[in-house]
Amino acid sequence: MMSPSAPPSSALRAAASGDRVLRTERDFNASRERVWRAFTDPEQVVQWWGRGNQLAIERMELERGGHWRFVETAPDGVHGFEGRYREVTPPQRIVLTFDWDGMPGYPIIVTTTLEELGNERTRVITESLFITGADRDQAMHAGMTEGMSQSYAALEELLKKTGRP
Amino acid sequence: MVQYSILDSGFAALSDRTRRGVLEYLGRTDASISDLAARFSMTLTGMKKHVQLLEDVGLVKTRKVGRVRHCSLGARRLERESTWIAGYHEMLEARLDRLGDFLERTKGTS
Repeated sequence: MMSPSAPPSSALRAAASGDRVLRTERDFNASRERVWRAFTDPEQVVQWWGRGNQLAIERMELERGGHWRFVETAPDGVHGFEGRYREVTPPQRIVLTFDWDGMPGYPIIVTTTLEELGNERTRVITESLFITGADRDQAMHAGMTEGMSQSYAALEELLKKTGRP
Repeated sequence: MVQYSILDSGFAALSDRTRRGVLEYLGRTDASISDLAARFSMTLTGMKKHVQLLEDVGLVKTRKVGRVRHCSLGARRLERESTWIAGYHEMLEARLDRLGDFLERTKGTS
């Protein structure tokens, strides 16, 4: 099959808004329902998500909290991507966490929004929020500190109840 | 923090798999252009172009010793995160290209 030349409407507009969000916008000549199916029907996902590489969908639990894991077999090796769905709102929005096996500990939070443009056209907006080093360390530190003080509080309670050793 | 200024001008340099590979390789060891060409199965001319582009944006520096041009990482080191973001962006664009192809191909069938 001939590869269709990109219509002008598909011009990609990408911008880094803020310092950690990568935003892309692209318009497609297809209804929002069709685009939604392309994103959510595993049989359709395998036909494009792998960028021409063979794609195995190991998990796709399309609901809040559900896991996903896709494995791409590319000429330069096998790449696994995975995460969890944070929001699935048909037919307009999917929010998920995105981790690449090759970059563990650097999750991206990806929001994909489908906007109806009318005339069987749909705009796909992706916003990728990178959790960068400084933030990640801070979040982890805050989480640990909180977790530790909770643990200490619980220990203290326990010691009160059990009295002296 | 991620330095988007690095990405702005360095993005074109990083948008290519071979060039990212060259940077990763030079991160481990210096190499001549012919070493790199052999390693990435390219012609000398092809590799020279890649190296030139990386040199233009300061990611690689080269020096000529006799007839051999040695390449090493330039003064402008990239953070691993920045490389990851650039690679991710390239991947995302390629994916959207394929989605467009898929939607064209399946027009009228669903």
